[in-house]
Amino acid sequence: MKRCLSACAALALATVALAACGEKAEVTTGSAGAGQPLRLMLDWVPNADHVGIYQGLSEGDFAQAGLAVRVQVPSDPATPLELVAAGKVDAAISYEPELMLARNRGLPLVAIAAIVQRPLTSIISLGSNRIAQPRDLPGKTVGDAGIAYQHAYLQTILARAGVSTDKVKEVNVGANLVPAMLSRRVDATLGGYWNYEAIQLAQRGKRPNVIRMDEVGVPAYDELVLVVRRDTLANRSDELHRFVQAMARGYKSVRRDPTAAVDTLVRANPGLDRKLQLASVRATLGAFFPSAPGKPWGWQDPARWTAYGAWMLAHRLITNPNAAADASTNQLLAGQGV
Amino acid sequence: MIEAPVKEPRDLLERDTVTLEVVSRKYGELAALAGVSLRVRAQETVAVVGPSGCGKTTLLELICGLQRPDCGCVTAAPAALMPQRDLLLPWLGALDNAALALRARGVSREQARATAQPWLARFGLDGFEHTRPAALSGGMRQRVSFLRTLLAGKPVLALDEPFAALDAITRAEMQSWLAHVLEREPRTVVLVTHDVEEAVILADRVVVFSPRPGRVLADIAVPLPRPRRRVDPAVVELRERALHALGVPS
Amino acid sequence: MKRVGLPLALLALLLGVWELYVDLGGADPVILPPPHDVLKSLVDDRGLLWSNFLVSAREVVLGIVLAVMVALLLAIAIHFSATLRRAAYPLLIASQTIPFPMLAPLLVLWLGFGIAPKLVVIAIVSFFPIVVTTFAALEAVDRDLLKLMRTFDASRGRTFWHVELPSALPGVFTGTKVAVVVAVIGAVFAELAGANSGLGYLFQQAEANLLIPRAYAAVVILSLFAIVLFALLTIAEHRVLPWAYQSRGDVAQ
Repeated sequence: MKRCLSACAALALATVALAACGEKAEVTTGSAGAGQPLRLMLDWVPNADHVGIYQGLSEGDFAQAGLAVRVQVPSDPATPLELVAAGKVDAAISYEPELMLARNRGLPLVAIAAIVQRPLTSIISLGSNRIAQPRDLPGKTVGDAGIAYQHAYLQTILARAGVSTDKVKEVNVGANLVPAMLSRRVDATLGGYWNYEAIQLAQRGKRPNVIRMDEVGVPAYDELVLVVRRDTLANRSDELHRFVQAMARGYKSVRRDPTAAVDTLVRANPGLDRKLQLASVRATLGAFFPSAPGKPWGWQDPARWTAYGAWMLAHRLITNPNAAADASTNQLLAGQGV
Repeated sequence: MIEAPVKEPRDLLERDTVTLEVVSRKYGELAALAGVSLRVRAQETVAVVGPSGCGKTTLLELICGLQRPDCGCVTAAPAALMPQRDLLLPWLGALDNAALALRARGVSREQARATAQPWLARFGLDGFEHTRPAALSGGMRQRVSFLRTLLAGKPVLALDEPFAALDAITRAEMQSWLAHVLEREPRTVVLVTHDVEEAVILADRVVVFSPRPGRVLADIAVPLPRPRRRVDPAVVELRERALHALGVPS
Repeated sequence: MKRVGLPLALLALLLGVWELYVDLGGADPVILPPPHDVLKSLVDDRGLLWSNFLVSAREVVLGIVLAVMVALLLAIAIHFSATLRRAAYPLLIASQTIPFPMLAPLLVLWLGFGIAPKLVVIAIVSFFPIVVTTFAALEAVDRDLLKLMRTFDASRGRTFWHVELPSALPGVFTGTKVAVVVAVIGAVFAELAGANSGLGYLFQQAEANLLIPRAYAAVVILSLFAIVLFALLTIAEHRVLPWAYQSRGDVAQ
């Protein structure tokens, strides 16, 4: 019994030591300690879309702005907005439609910058299926993740192309779109990005066909936006202003030297496929910045936001018109607002 | 000379008795004992024999205070039980098993071991202090079990068929060994056994029980000097008498 | 040698079948990579796999320790109190049916992003088998032994400490061995709910980057880890409880 007790005591000590020293080993991506802490949650696992953030962290843009930014990865794309609303993170990256849905549920959130200035969502298919335009869809199976607004995209696209919706079969394949296409469970998928899944297929020699949402009738929207709580915007406006400016500097730095930026991204996230991320960053470069001349990085076009909100209302994806109004603000961007 | 530690100072040995007056005990519908009256005098050894199911174990548990009678009265000095199966703790050596009753009362391990140590030699277990029960022979395990009972320091010992699981040779050895120990460490002993011969060899009185519900059929005195031999005609005669009381044809 | 040889032979056979299936075009190598790709990833990505393994391993070990502590307290409590047992047992069983995807994000919400929510998830999935086996061992203590202790005037506490607790140790080990296997799965789910590192996170990231062989490699490491933990516990069991494994010297002749 005594021998057992001393064994238990030794085990307890070892456990405490393990717990204590392990904290340092935990991988934390963020700038050095000093500075106001700011917790940023990504929309998904780190990828090319976030390259400007990691570039900003690496070259000290956030540190120089007096911010200690800590990056978190979410469990699924639905949680970032919940956590921002709950105050568990200070800012989150999400999608314009998700933000509208959250505001419709009453969450007091607002977008303060657009990280990707146009839709990335596309209908993607293997080249061999010859689906080059919506009129090629009748009789085909389209897989998606079962998201309501993506279903509405398909409806809008088919209506615009004059294709009856019962001619196209929709199947829920979850989040793994590429395996669904490769296994030929579906002929095409809706929800992949032209700068990500399409490139993955291209790099494997599948010569994918890509139909971008905004080219076939879906109103243009900002695929990736930076979201904070309304009261955070009111109370910590100066801090957020510096945050947005620092992020803008990061993305501008990417534009100057994309290859170096990809190196930074992969160094911070050793699990990434460098070849994929490099191709993705190159393809996305244009979308990181507004096409309208003279507009600052992060610009959110109010007219486009209004149009998209109206489209969501029309398709009954949101019921509250206030969800769409004032969903975004450009006041923190360079040369804007206070 | 009683050397094992006891709970209270014992000056009047007359108090170390066991008395059952018209005791009955039922388990639901099943009557185990019906109107049993029994008296054991101080430092007397009484053997209880009877067929299976005659309530012998119930009797011992009543004496040890583990049960209360449904009718009648049990008055007994503090009693320690030596169970039928040795119930030695498999993770303890012989020494620690023997000292279990002391540890149960809160005695420290060093103190308990010190108390039990000299007894191991006397019981022929020298050198086996840290041997676990699995490595001890049946006879040795019974000796450890008996030592444990003894070291509980109670004036009354309730022994439940202590040698039933042993082979004939070991059983004979253990019987003479027990007789020898009881001579040197007199206690009030209630010994339950199915072996009538063993009863006559070890006890001052043999009480014969009937089948269920148990009641006293005969109370046979054994006024023979010790040590007793199996082949002694007096022993054989008393044995036959007991068997006859049990209803076993000669 | 035979003990290791037979499972290895079976494994080799299964791997052979798998390799043939993929090589003969049964599945797209992107979705089902052939074993040699997985092996290649185990070698090429060993640095990445090792550093993330350490993170997950820490979570599993600490989670199991937490599970054992909680399980022991619970098993002892319901052993002593029949009322508590009647009240708590159904709830304990129900706790095992809570789906991870629901539980893990809630815990992240309450406990943040550190190691705490992961430990709680792992503890929740692992504690139940330990409670069941420990409780069973406590209840299985020979009633006659408990009666014997009463005749020695032992208090309830002393009887527990000297007799019941040591008797329960084999049950604790059995339950913990079952639990470690489940704990490894729990760690993966806990990481999928919000982590920056660990094999579960690496798996998720590898899938997102279509580096499927690496995802499989992560799973292989996790399986090996579960086996090693199980083996370590078995060794510890034989060390701490040698008496539970000795055959009885001489049963009644």
